[in-house]
Amino acid sequence: MRLVPTAEYNAPDIESHKFEPSDGPHTTYGKTTQISDIVIKAGGEDRDKPTDHNDTPLGNLRAELTTLQDQINIFLTDRMNLEKDNKNQEADIERRLLDEGVDEDESE
Amino acid sequence: MVVDLDKYLKQDKDYYIAIGLEGSANKLGVGIIKHSKGLLSNVNKAKVLSNVRDTYITPPGEGFLPRDTARHHRNWVVRIIKKAIKDANINKFDIDVICFTQGPGMGAPLQSVVIAARTISQIWQIPLVGVNHCIGHIEMGREITGALNPVVLYVSGGNTQVIAYSKNRYRIFGETLDIAIGNCLDRFARTLKISNDPAPGYNIEQLAKKGKHLVNLPYTVKGMDMSMSGILAYIDQLAKDMFGIQKKQLKDEESGEFITKEDLCFSLQEILFSMLVEITERALAHVNSNQVLIVGGVGSNERLQEMMKLMIQDRKNGQIFATDERFCIDNGIMIAHAGLLQYRTGGIIKDLKDTVCTQRFRTDEVYIAWRDD
Repeated sequence: MRLVPTAEYNAPDIESHKFEPSDGPHTTYGKTTQISDIVIKAGGEDRDKPTDHNDTPLGNLRAELTTLQDQINIFLTDRMNLEKDNKNQEADIERRLLDEGVDEDESE
Repeated sequence: MVVDLDKYLKQDKDYYIAIGLEGSANKLGVGIIKHSKGLLSNVNKAKVLSNVRDTYITPPGEGFLPRDTARHHRNWVVRIIKKAIKDANINKFDIDVICFTQGPGMGAPLQSVVIAARTISQIWQIPLVGVNHCIGHIEMGREITGALNPVVLYVSGGNTQVIAYSKNRYRIFGETLDIAIGNCLDRFARTLKISNDPAPGYNIEQLAKKGKHLVNLPYTVKGMDMSMSGILAYIDQLAKDMFGIQKKQLKDEESGEFITKEDLCFSLQEILFSMLVEITERALAHVNSNQVLIVGGVGSNERLQEMMKLMIQDRKNGQIFATDERFCIDNGIMIAHAGLLQYRTGGIIKDLKDTVCTQRFRTDEVYIAWRDD
């Protein structure tokens, strides 16, 4: 029996974004779930690594979930960065309108 | 009226077993407790079957970040649960209830642990109970020490409260207005780059034992409350002046001797603990009590216990109660114990939606159905 985790993301600007782990191989070592660089730089060591998954339905589910979590983390981080860029752009237009007297139509 | 604690006892059973999962800060704890049926008393004490803990420790000078602490809990929780069950030597299906810390605490670590609790609850078909972390400390402290109705001093990395019981609530008489006492000590340890192993507060305590000179620090008790951020800023600046680029040397006014790192740790402890003793003494007078119970991680500090003892000895029949580090420092067994009391009075969670954790969860929000005094 194979248990396959899936996820779906909905937002006002996105109708539906589906996440599914690919065929693999999958592991419990996620790209986005590593220890923070700050801890390693301060001389810390990572003694909290996840254990390897067992080759059982639940063990494989755990590995596939890690892949899914990576996909979700990357997707949400990209969205956050996009939102930040948009806010910066808006702030820049506002600054130019107020400080430099640039006409809104010109700035577009 | 005596509270009926056996309304929910399963047929053919004369005891209860609960597993408790704690992870509101950098300690991940899992404990298993057994209550025999009937009221808890000196002849019917709760039995600790196992109490396993693993602490997320960061390098000197660094605090624990929520993300890495949550990762620690996530990656250890299964191993710790397995060890707790093995140590307790029970069958998991003998567990009546799964208890987890619902708050207060750091959001991300709380979240890691509640996910584990929900998962085992669904796999094993065992109900869940969400426990207030502070209530866990209080109830475990009462059970271990036998203190009946004490004024509770709850001092830890995230909380500083003076609490007394009245009409089914643990009511807060005084508390910090800004940072918690453990946070104050931990952050000063970071400034001095003191090791976080086994705990920064413990290492400050050891240094303080070698301190001789009291450095004048602000003393900020405000009514029944206290403030510690100003004291921290003040002593942090002193430490930076002394051990930073300036290498400024301070002298003790009386002896003319140089002030050391040990003196700073000693002074910080003396001032902070004096403030705690003052508000605790006032709370005792308010509620006309003569018992003090110290709980929370900072409660294992021997100097705090000693200062509190000096105060309580001056009161008629005064008694002080404290537990050792197994029960003082965050642990799973206290969550199992308080959760089991909640379970025995019908406090189980009926819908998974109600298992959501919260960073802010005040001690007096919980209705204490298992006490009727």
